[in-house]
Amino acid sequence: MSDDTNGYELSLLELDGEELKFRAGETLYEVAQRRNKDVPTLCYDPRLEAFGACRLCVVEVDGIRNPVASCTTKAQAGMVVRTKTEALEKHRKTLMELVVSENPEATIDPLRGMASQELGVLAERYGADGSRFQGKHSGSSRPDDPNPMIGRDYDHCISCYRCVRVCAEQEGDYAISIKNRGFGTQITVEFDGFLSDSACTFCGQCVQTCPTGALNDLRARKHEDTPGELEATRSICPYCGVGCSVDIMTKEDTVVAVRPAMDGPANEGALCVKGQFGWEWIQNPERLTKPLVRKGGKGGELVEATWEEALERAAQGFAQVRDTHGRHAVYAVASGRAPHESAYSVQKFIRAGFMSNLVDNCSRA
Amino acid sequence: MFEGPSPRLSERAMTRTTDDELIACWRDEPAPLLPVLHAFHDRDGYLSDDALRAVAHGLRIPLADLYGTVTFYHHIARIEGGKQRPRVCDGPVCKLNGCDALLDQLAPEGATAMPCAGRCDDPIPVLRGDEFLVGRVGAPLAAEGTPLPPPNPGGVTECCFAHIRDAGRASLAGYRASGGYEALARAVQELSPAELLDLIDASGLAGRGGAGFPTGRKWRAVAEATGEPKTIVCNADEGEPGCFKDRALMDHDPHAVIEGMALAAYATGATRGFVYLRYEYPHTLRILEGALEEARAANLIGPGILGSDLHFELYLRRGAGAYICGEETSLLNSLEGKHPFPRNRPPYPVTHGFEDKPTAVNNVETLVSVPPIVRHGSDWYAALGLGEHKGTKLISLSGDVQRPGNYEIPIGLPLRTLLDEWAGGPRAGRSFQAVTMAGLSGGFIGSEDFDITLDEPCLRAKQSFLGAGGVMVFDDSRDMLEVARQAMSFFAHESCGKCVPCRIGTQRLTERLAGDAGPRDTELWSAEVHDIGHTMMAVSACGLGIAAPLVTESLLRYFPEQVAARLEQRT
Repeated sequence: MSDDTNGYELSLLELDGEELKFRAGETLYEVAQRRNKDVPTLCYDPRLEAFGACRLCVVEVDGIRNPVASCTTKAQAGMVVRTKTEALEKHRKTLMELVVSENPEATIDPLRGMASQELGVLAERYGADGSRFQGKHSGSSRPDDPNPMIGRDYDHCISCYRCVRVCAEQEGDYAISIKNRGFGTQITVEFDGFLSDSACTFCGQCVQTCPTGALNDLRARKHEDTPGELEATRSICPYCGVGCSVDIMTKEDTVVAVRPAMDGPANEGALCVKGQFGWEWIQNPERLTKPLVRKGGKGGELVEATWEEALERAAQGFAQVRDTHGRHAVYAVASGRAPHESAYSVQKFIRAGFMSNLVDNCSRA
Repeated sequence: MFEGPSPRLSERAMTRTTDDELIACWRDEPAPLLPVLHAFHDRDGYLSDDALRAVAHGLRIPLADLYGTVTFYHHIARIEGGKQRPRVCDGPVCKLNGCDALLDQLAPEGATAMPCAGRCDDPIPVLRGDEFLVGRVGAPLAAEGTPLPPPNPGGVTECCFAHIRDAGRASLAGYRASGGYEALARAVQELSPAELLDLIDASGLAGRGGAGFPTGRKWRAVAEATGEPKTIVCNADEGEPGCFKDRALMDHDPHAVIEGMALAAYATGATRGFVYLRYEYPHTLRILEGALEEARAANLIGPGILGSDLHFELYLRRGAGAYICGEETSLLNSLEGKHPFPRNRPPYPVTHGFEDKPTAVNNVETLVSVPPIVRHGSDWYAALGLGEHKGTKLISLSGDVQRPGNYEIPIGLPLRTLLDEWAGGPRAGRSFQAVTMAGLSGGFIGSEDFDITLDEPCLRAKQSFLGAGGVMVFDDSRDMLEVARQAMSFFAHESCGKCVPCRIGTQRLTERLAGDAGPRDTELWSAEVHDIGHTMMAVSACGLGIAAPLVTESLLRYFPEQVAARLEQRT
């Protein structure tokens, strides 16, 4: 089979009656996604190796007796595929009713995590209201875990293993693993302990890929009752030089969460603990909002001052250092927590003010 | 790729004591995790946190992964002294034989239940440390050898069992006395691998572990696949309840397994092999170790076998208690030290097997069938079946029948011939109510359908299958709903948890059979059970979830009045 210029093979398959080209190695799910088919799934994360746990994405393929999971099935020339039939929808409904039956009823706030509404949306679509297949619940939450960042409400877990896989495949931490088997399966870490005693680096990727809010952002959840619509503003994380794209989540004027951008070219949905969870200081009431100056020189008490007075004192200090020790005696490091505009101003200040290049930013490290 | 002879596992563990020494024993062999875990388990009597830390460090496995993997296995004890605590089989037949009373009797020793341990033709198996014992209620535990198959009852030609009853058969000399290793000698001296493949193709031999895939085709696919080293895996993880044929073969005819594997290696170009033996057969491990040692000393395993170019190294690996590891891709993950979930297929093991290299995974019985086929010819073997069917099948027959045991039947034998003529019919004063097929995986066949023949086409027409060949018999004194509940509870216990329909479905079906949850109304109850079953059968990721609902489907088909009566009682 030869490739044409777009990387598509010249061979075709038929998807819901439509003849389509496909790339070598493309799965049926990916082909269906390209055609905007609404194939449901709960265990799929495009960044991870296809796993085939939830079975919701099953499709019918001519010549194969049972439906196949489209996420794990590679497209092949001549395949005749159906993504939505009465039989498939019945299986999907049964699967959704089974999944819903293993958890207690709950309202999942979107602040729990990016993907946290996936289960609820599909449950509603398939009318899975918990009335069928009632029985034992499967999860056992860990409210005893004292870490302030990641909530572990496994009562809402559906064992899709996205957290386990993202931790291994994306973050490379291998902190999250699987305890026991069958209905007794629990998501856990080494020796069933706390996250802080494990290999977890609190990057939060498990939180953001969790389709039920079982793993959740405890800092964001403090704002579940904050009034206002949840809005996203795209930005770049200032903490280091990687340049991870983030969405700053706000309700009116309050920052309520930070989320990684799945389409961020540098991070593809990844963040580290600082970018993910290090934002509460923005609204910390102890932040300085007025300048302080020291009364009576070195060792003196800090007292509130006007901007004019404070800037005058600072200018005097800088000038004295420069006059005594030369212009290279001044070196500026801008804070990663400061806005990009401030970082720009600092380098301007050093370069134009001192004719020196002795300027840096803590994010460059 | 030849690491040289591997000393007996038990001896290695006895002479080394420190963590580093134990790890060093296997670190440089393929598939090191299971033997390392067993070495620590044997030394300490359980697996401590420190042991797991040492193994994770020594074999470079993330600790969380190792911890999770260890919790997957039923038989790895995580509390001090846990390994020595008796495990009592509570499989379907042992339930009939009073295992619950035996469990009570052994409670002071900390006894717990284990799933079917593969001795359904005998008293109740009890595992205590590395002792495989049999228990009778009210009597002390005894060490008794595996029963031999009953003397050839039908007088028909046997393939696997032809010489198994010969005295001394388990030794190399005994095996050779009736032509053992002649097939291997003939193959390496007279046949090309291609000719051997043609021979196996023509015999019609197909996978006897249950899937029934033609053996010749499987081997040819491995031979033609690119990538080395290639591997032969003998699937000796006989976990299906009601199946105990592989244990009889390995205990009484271990060299047949080794010869079959060496022939498979010759046909496929494989240079290494593993026997993946279930944890519940510790005595079998010792028998295989002895046989392997003899075979190696006689140049039947290792480099330059019988003066030929065939190099084949064989390793024994012991499972740790997980039914799903009998599923071939789960087995491969277990060998590789990974979490034993089944893999997504394709790709299949013939191209992407052990360590992603071409691998043939064959059941014990399949491999044992090969030497006689090579010696007597493909026509001989094919003609052993009845009618259009080719070859023979071992049936493990147990339960409410006069003479339980392993029988080698011509494929296509009428079920009634086996039950009434070969096995002596029902217990005195009783009549048959149902049999299971494929152990538990084929569900029930009610006595109204006993006019069947034992072959896949006939059984498929009854929505069942022959599978690994376990047939458990239940007479008219048995409560079929309770039998079904135990069966489903086994599947729930053994579900790996990877896919939703099986993980939740087996649990919900068990609850409905037990009356713990679910509707009381017969119609609603049946609708839920059918809906779960149909979805499990259609979309589960592996055979466990696909087969498990055959239990409930066949229960509702053959015994609707028992179901209705029980639901009536519950309201």
